[in-house]
Amino acid sequence: MRKSPNAGRRRRVIPAISVLGFLVLLLTACAGGSSPGGSKGSATSANLTWWGWTPSVQVAQQYIKAFNRKYPDIHITYKMLTIAGYNAALRPALASTVGPDVFDVAPGGANGSVETYGPDAVDLTSAVQKALGSDWKSKLSPIGVSSMILNGKLVGLSVGAVYSGTVWINKNLFDQYHLTPPTTLEQWASDCATFKAHNVGCFVQGVGQTAFNEDTLQAISDNVKPGVWAKAIQGQVPWTDPTIVKALTIWKQMFTDGIMEKGALGVQQYPDANNDFLSGKYAMVMMGTWYMQNTTTAGMSAGISGAGVSSPKNFTAIPILFPDVAGTGTTGALYGDSDYGIAVNTKSSHQAAAVTFATWLGTSTAGQQQVADALDDIAALKGVQPNWPTISLVQSGAQQPVLSKLISGAVTSDEPRLATVSPDLQLAIGSATTTVASGSATPAQAAAALQAAAAKLPNHGAVG
Amino acid sequence: MSSAGTGTTVSRTRQSETAAGHLGPKGRRRGPRRPPGLPWILPAFVFVVGLIYYCIGYTGYISTLNWDGVSPNPKHVGFANYTQAFHDPVFWDTIRHTVIFFIVTFTVQTALGFTFAALLHSKVKLPNLYKVIIFIPVVLAPATMAPIFRQIFSANGQFNAILSDIGLGSLAHPWLAQSSTALPVIMAITVWEWTGVTFILYFAAMTQIDKEILEAARIDGANGVKVLTRIVWPNVRGTTIALAMLSVIGALKTFDVPYLVSLGGPNYATEFLGTLIYRVSIPQAEVGYGAALSILLLILSLVGALAFGLRGTRRN
Amino acid sequence: MFETRRLSSKVILQVILTIMVLPFLFPLIAMVQESLSGQGWGNYKAVWATGVVPRFFLNSTIIALGVIIIVYCLTMLAAFGFSKLHVRWKEVFFWMMLAALTMPEVVLLTPLFSTAVHLGLYNTYASVMLPLAALQIPFAVLLTRNFVNSIPDELFDAARVDGANAALIFWKIIVPLTRPIAAAIIILTLIAAWNDYLLPLVFLQTPSTQTITLLPSFFVSEFSDDQTKVVASAVITAIPEVIAYLCLQRLFERGLTAGALK
Repeated sequence: MRKSPNAGRRRRVIPAISVLGFLVLLLTACAGGSSPGGSKGSATSANLTWWGWTPSVQVAQQYIKAFNRKYPDIHITYKMLTIAGYNAALRPALASTVGPDVFDVAPGGANGSVETYGPDAVDLTSAVQKALGSDWKSKLSPIGVSSMILNGKLVGLSVGAVYSGTVWINKNLFDQYHLTPPTTLEQWASDCATFKAHNVGCFVQGVGQTAFNEDTLQAISDNVKPGVWAKAIQGQVPWTDPTIVKALTIWKQMFTDGIMEKGALGVQQYPDANNDFLSGKYAMVMMGTWYMQNTTTAGMSAGISGAGVSSPKNFTAIPILFPDVAGTGTTGALYGDSDYGIAVNTKSSHQAAAVTFATWLGTSTAGQQQVADALDDIAALKGVQPNWPTISLVQSGAQQPVLSKLISGAVTSDEPRLATVSPDLQLAIGSATTTVASGSATPAQAAAALQAAAAKLPNHGAVG
Repeated sequence: MSSAGTGTTVSRTRQSETAAGHLGPKGRRRGPRRPPGLPWILPAFVFVVGLIYYCIGYTGYISTLNWDGVSPNPKHVGFANYTQAFHDPVFWDTIRHTVIFFIVTFTVQTALGFTFAALLHSKVKLPNLYKVIIFIPVVLAPATMAPIFRQIFSANGQFNAILSDIGLGSLAHPWLAQSSTALPVIMAITVWEWTGVTFILYFAAMTQIDKEILEAARIDGANGVKVLTRIVWPNVRGTTIALAMLSVIGALKTFDVPYLVSLGGPNYATEFLGTLIYRVSIPQAEVGYGAALSILLLILSLVGALAFGLRGTRRN
Repeated sequence: MFETRRLSSKVILQVILTIMVLPFLFPLIAMVQESLSGQGWGNYKAVWATGVVPRFFLNSTIIALGVIIIVYCLTMLAAFGFSKLHVRWKEVFFWMMLAALTMPEVVLLTPLFSTAVHLGLYNTYASVMLPLAALQIPFAVLLTRNFVNSIPDELFDAARVDGANAALIFWKIIVPLTRPIAAAIIILTLIAAWNDYLLPLVFLQTPSTQTITLLPSFFVSEFSDDQTKVVASAVITAIPEVIAYLCLQRLFERGLTAGALK
């Protein structure tokens, strides 16, 4: 085969070109580390992008529509990301010049962590002072404020809070079998035995999804002795404290006494446990104040049919206080955090308009009323209760008083739920619950392992 | 191109004609007789390497940091992330799971895919229906099927129901709630999901087998199984080797099924390198550690793939 | 493969095939049941009512086609080069490409993102097409190279003796004879591109460019999770892939007659 005279030279050139091409790509990608900061722009007219994992698209559209009644020239596009994908998508976006103008942040170590993304957010202190005056801190729920402050900077304006510590029951099932909601561990176990005898599930929990186990463990711990849990997170008390060990022991008892469903370790809270409760297969589930959305006729029907039931029949879902499993008499602990706050991107070129939106949603009566009426979150602005006459509950006689009491009780609580727990600590606590549940560790061993893990973490795993 | 008449005879003649003066020491043709291949492989090479190698380099650099991916001041820690990996019992769990996973899923998928391909190359009724059923699992997003599988394998799910229907009720377990049984479930779901790929690749490879050879064997009295093992199986060896290499890499990288179905649990019973890297990088924001694990994954993948790839080329 | 002249062997084969296929069928039935539970066909109506399905379909198709074209062309050229032509340090090039396959997608996000932004490709189809293609090519080259290896060398020698250059050989021999493996890699590439979730999530910002994999997110919010509609979305997403598979089936059959080209 004839060799062209240039073949040899071409052979050397081509690899050289490819290496060069590769280097060019490398350099363009490496070059340009810091990007210019954003600009203010007009405060009343702009096209904004809002990224969040919550609220749902429908609820966000509601908020935006209400917002546009006051500010018709600020157009907002809401991009809902999944919970699992939020951090993965947000991190590179904020590092670039094309990120969102407004984005969700939340306390603690999970999605949109205030601690992680705080540096990318504009300080909203002056904006909230302008909106609510110099005593603004007293006008907002304390949980929402403290968890959004990082090193003195107000990273986001909390939209609303969620609290845990309640157990939700299917009142219809309880009435059907003439049972009353349990107030002790023994009664809980006997209620479950009755349900099981009639082939009805008793209590469903997604033990495989450890974040919710932390809620249950915190409830038990607060019942054994209030205040120890919060101190243990801060490292002021070791996790091997007898209160925590007792809490883990009672946790284990829930499995051995037949309260936890069989195979609970393989279940996830969403969608499995949620669907099991809504489809009427189980009579109890541990959810927090966000479950209020299932008390409205529309919300419950949507939930039931989403759980796969073809002709949804609404039932009365009611929150009860966590049973007095330790027999100490102290029940009713509610602990929560800001569900999410709105932060403004420092690189946004429409900062003023973005701040307008954040302030409206987080501090104005109009915005906060929208939030309260959605019954997902408890409003951050003090004194805003849901507009009950406009809300159609499944059984308002039974539900409304309980819900009102829950909301007013929650707002006064200042016990954090996840806000002060770093992801590493959350992982360690989760491990403690699952090792005890599976029997691969005794409560004492699990507590010791948890303490060992926490001791290795910076600040004992506490954040904020 | 001149017609080659009755295939094999003529080509053998041609081979002996050209064989005489130009066989190299390994019995293969030496370079200059073949056209240069570099311009042919370069587009693909530059494209892939250009886009991905920057990422590999970046990951390598990050692996020497203690960083959360966002803060402007990462801490340089050299190889500390790698030593952390070697001391991490979860890391070794993932290695153990990956080895078991690879052996089981590769064997079962290969056996099933090969058998399906052989069966569907024969004259059976409704072949397209079977092909579609085997193939649809490949197409479905694992995120959608995960809750369905959790339901199927739950303590009162369909799988246990079927077991009790056929009298094996005593074998009913809460499959995903126990460390001992969770991994087999993950492997079963993976086999369900990927056998379709093995199937279409073996199917494609079997199209290259000369029908006359099969006929000749049958005339000689060989039954189906003998034809399969003595003729078809050796003939698709290249596909098997390629699948082994891809399975090693796939087993190491596997993320969707163990993460979505069981979150790597219970208690890390179904944790794999892929899920560990995800957990460490995203929720725990230990990006440096995640990068170190990724580099280890790359090295292990190459070693594993090489182990199979070299076995393949040695015979050639 | 198997002899099916006698009725009994025909029946046995059919029975074996059916039994083997049953475990694959059950979860599919469970899935369809789930998509029809709750509101039944209303689930599909609700998915359609989001109004984004045609647009998302179009975007996914554009991206998938782009990826397939890039992958097919580059793979065929490279497989031919690796298999039948002379390349110094052939294996080095090959294994360097294979190494690119080993990176988990989640690790690639940040570096790919900064590359995309610097090249001005953010929020364009290219930002998703190019990485997807780059990740698919090593896999496709591995399979195609192996397939081309099985094409007898004698064909090429005969052609070269007759004066054909490499390009002609490629066009007249490789392309026709590789139809079965081409069908396989087209289908597998289509699936990888169509089902990819992470890259479109991160790189495609505006709803007018988003893909069908983002459809389920309309039904999942922080505290509610409408699985019935999520599964209905998955069924809708899967249908084009199955149709493509059935259409490409013919190409698998063609391969059987291609041997006669000898």
